[in-house]
Amino acid sequence: PWSRSKMLDGHLLLGWLSFTVLVHLLNLPGPTAAYFGLTGNEPLSILPLNSLPEENIGRAHYKLCDRLKLEKKQRRMCRRDPGVAETLREAITMSALECQYQFRFERWNCTLEGRHRANILKRGFKETAFLYAISSAGLTHAMAKACSAGRMERCTCDEAPDLENRKAWQWGGCGDNLKYANKFVKDFLGKRSNKDLRARVDMHNTNVGTKVIKAGVETTCKCHGVSGSCTVQTCWRQLLPFHEIGKQLKQRYETSIKVGSSTNEATGEGEISTGRSQQQQPLPLPGLNDQIPRTMDLLHIEDSPSFCRPSKYSSGTAARKCYKDKNCDAICCGRGHNTQSREVTRPCQCQVRWCCYVECKQCTQREEVYTCKG
Amino acid sequence: MRRRCAPHVLPAPASGCSGIKLSATRSCDSWFFFFFPPPFEVESQEQSGGGGGGPTARVVSAGGCSLFSSTLSRSFVARRDFSLQPFPFAMAGAIIENMSTKKLVIVGVILLLFQAFAFMVGGLIAPSPTTAVHYLATKCVDTVKQRQETKWFMPWGPNQCDKIRTFDEAMAKKIEANNIVFAVHIPLPNKEMSSWFQFMLVILQFDIAFRMHNQIKDGALVTIDVSLAYRDDTISKWTEMAHSFEQRKLSCNFTTTKTSENEGRHYECDLLPFMEVGSVAHKYYLLNIRLPINERKNINVGIGEIKDIRLVSIHQNGGFTKVWFAMKTFLTPSILIIMIWYWRRITLMSRPPVLLEKVILALGISMTFINIPVEWFSIGFNWTWMLLFGDIRQGIFYSMLLSFWIIFCGEHLMGTRLFAAWSLERGQVKMCESGLPTITELVTELGSHLTNNLQDQTERNRLSVYWKQVGPIVFGSFCLFIFDMCERGVQLKNPFYSIWASEVGTELAMAFIIVAGICACLYFLFLCFMVFQVFRNISGKRTSLPAMSKARRLHYEGLIFRFKFLMLVTLTCAAMTVIFFIISQVNGGHWHWGEHTVQVNSAFFTGIYGMWNLYVFAIMFLYAPSHKRYGDEQSSGQCITGDAGANSGEDNQLTTTITHVDGPTEIYKMIGKEAQE
Repeated sequence: PWSRSKMLDGHLLLGWLSFTVLVHLLNLPGPTAAYFGLTGNEPLSILPLNSLPEENIGRAHYKLCDRLKLEKKQRRMCRRDPGVAETLREAITMSALECQYQFRFERWNCTLEGRHRANILKRGFKETAFLYAISSAGLTHAMAKACSAGRMERCTCDEAPDLENRKAWQWGGCGDNLKYANKFVKDFLGKRSNKDLRARVDMHNTNVGTKVIKAGVETTCKCHGVSGSCTVQTCWRQLLPFHEIGKQLKQRYETSIKVGSSTNEATGEGEISTGRSQQQQPLPLPGLNDQIPRTMDLLHIEDSPSFCRPSKYSSGTAARKCYKDKNCDAICCGRGHNTQSREVTRPCQCQVRWCCYVECKQCTQREEVYTCKG
Repeated sequence: MRRRCAPHVLPAPASGCSGIKLSATRSCDSWFFFFFPPPFEVESQEQSGGGGGGPTARVVSAGGCSLFSSTLSRSFVARRDFSLQPFPFAMAGAIIENMSTKKLVIVGVILLLFQAFAFMVGGLIAPSPTTAVHYLATKCVDTVKQRQETKWFMPWGPNQCDKIRTFDEAMAKKIEANNIVFAVHIPLPNKEMSSWFQFMLVILQFDIAFRMHNQIKDGALVTIDVSLAYRDDTISKWTEMAHSFEQRKLSCNFTTTKTSENEGRHYECDLLPFMEVGSVAHKYYLLNIRLPINERKNINVGIGEIKDIRLVSIHQNGGFTKVWFAMKTFLTPSILIIMIWYWRRITLMSRPPVLLEKVILALGISMTFINIPVEWFSIGFNWTWMLLFGDIRQGIFYSMLLSFWIIFCGEHLMGTRLFAAWSLERGQVKMCESGLPTITELVTELGSHLTNNLQDQTERNRLSVYWKQVGPIVFGSFCLFIFDMCERGVQLKNPFYSIWASEVGTELAMAFIIVAGICACLYFLFLCFMVFQVFRNISGKRTSLPAMSKARRLHYEGLIFRFKFLMLVTLTCAAMTVIFFIISQVNGGHWHWGEHTVQVNSAFFTGIYGMWNLYVFAIMFLYAPSHKRYGDEQSSGQCITGDAGANSGEDNQLTTTITHVDGPTEIYKMIGKEAQE
């Protein structure tokens, strides 16, 4: 279904990328800080969303929860509500697609193939930071959305016995979805007090994801006083589309801050210091033992690999499709590109209705396809 | 404003009072007209008790400016609480003037306590006034052709519909747009609506993705086939409540450049008003929305790639409704009782009530009208017109309040205009304004009799004098009423109706609102001008105040005090309203204050509502005629004979009877002392 739909939007690249999501991936060995979603150790094979029947009767969702390879607490939260499992799945899809969309012109194209992803997650690259952030952002977003779609049995007005719950709703309504989503994500991803620097940086990046969602909230108001005047007005908070969130996170990825550690022999604790840009060597700052800079910036510990050649982090950029005069030089790492000319028949001059009906002519074009040399 | 300098000669009616020294007798109670010197040189002989003895005026100088020096011989009997009033249309001695400072402070403190209480009830007990709930429409597929019977599509729960997640999926399955139903169940799972929610309005938002080859056309209209159903338990069938084809104009803009790079990003679309119901009588509501396509009729063509439909429903919180009702139930008898008390006082007077007194009563009535908690019925009955009715009630109160301000100013303006006349007593005041009636006219008028003057008074006492000022209020509120009827009135029939949806409707609505706005501006101009005039008069005459006879000074000081007091209170109330409105807008909901959460919005509503109630209460209480005159006989009334003026000498005396049980205010104390001396 994905590939077919992308015929329309012209994003052949994205369509192509999304295939990678469907690839059945290896189970990851459990790294210390593999949480969930793109950072979790579940295979991303469950992604085709319509592959599972929608029946929530009984314990169908238990199966899904089990397939997600969750931790004990997470599994409990997942089983509590059939809606959660479904939402988790959607969160993964959302963040995966967004990651691939944002990195479609980069050397690292957010390949989520199991081994590479696991290796990236084991390190502290900028890419790792992005994965953590987009993962938690995706979960928050999906959760809030699921709440408003009525997919969740308990959402806002949560944590109360049924009667009280009802009373609370009748008396003063419930908190908004975003609040609930944030709380859920906080619970779900857990607050681990970890002395390990990398774990703390990962946690920080996870929080950045939710914070970006929070910062991107728009307050919209409606006046409904006498004759529609603004003597009475009600405001609500509205999430940005996830595309926007992805874009903002990508920007944060680009300006990611490097933190370094110098191991204190006596305590074994990592000291953290910050330094902008990759070239600058991180300076060990004594006295900041437990502090991660309180910023909304993404943090990384190590410089990223080039992702040019096949390595344990990526399969390299050989045979990657690129756009001439745009990103071929960058993607192909100076190795140059092959130009292939071929005839493509594709729909054109389409007439699209708002849904589900497209009338296209079939046009045959010559098209140049550029791929990176190996 | 009328710039007439007509004399107001009101000879004392025969009452058996000598007028020079008056003992407090019941028979004098009705004697509240007392002679008043005209603004030009007049010699007026007033026989005591001689209602027939008309004043004679001798004009000394003529020309554009007339210098008058009054040599008056007047008998001047002033009952300090009542007959101090030179004119019947000016208010009789009100409680506020007679109240001791101490008592006034006590009353003020009590009112302030109630005010604080009103704020606290809203801030601490009540939840926020309204709740907004987000809904994301579920895309259901109308699979089988079972159109013959209306089928309802449930987004979740048992018997939920066949769903699709995205339209790409629909495309793959070759599902037509006409077969896609957006289903929204209100409320969310495990919750139910209640009649305590009072009203529900729903806002529609489209998520439209940008596609190069499927952009939103300019002025695109989206046609919505929507039906609303309800049921009161989870198992019974849905009952249709409304069904309509609605058109809404899409006003969306794409903030970034329209290139293929940005495909898939969403347009920013304005909120669309969708539905408004005036009562929430049922537990569950279901909305089924279709976006049918008809290419021939160009329906729903060029509306872009709709990704999702989001709804936001807004309803009043049950808790807030309860607090609100409780407040209304408590306030209704309070205002009602003070109103009855007030009107009894008025009717107990031997003269007919004057305009200002009537207006105050009307203010009380409109306040009571707004207070009466008829909303209680909305809990039991499905009265959808309650929202409209509430609007009307508020409108009536607002226009009454605005009218009251104007008339209050106006009446005090006249009072002070007379006051200008008063000061002429001292002579040396130039009256050279244009529009002065000719001397002869004045003389004629002066020479006229009581009947004439009464005619004049009744003329002043009529509402029609204020047509210029009250006109805009009435017209403006009428415009808003029509607008409201067009919007909320029609919504009684079709909850999906919106006047803003159609081109003509928008223009009409805008026209009404603009006219109402112009009326409001006009009104405020008038009001400011009037207030300015009153103040000018006051400050102009204040200079001559010390030279005045004590009783007159007292009277005018009372007048000024009354006016200034109301000005102060009104301005404070208005300022409070504005300030709290801004706070509640800026603050976005609630403050955390220690462990308590203060609901700023609720505090604003209850506090301001309480404040205007207290305002009306205070006006009715403080501006009611003083009761002191009823206790004359028993009270240890003392007669003060004051010298009314050095110039006029003679028998120009003032007799004031102080019959206060309460203890005199400073001024009266002073007089009392002097009198004793």
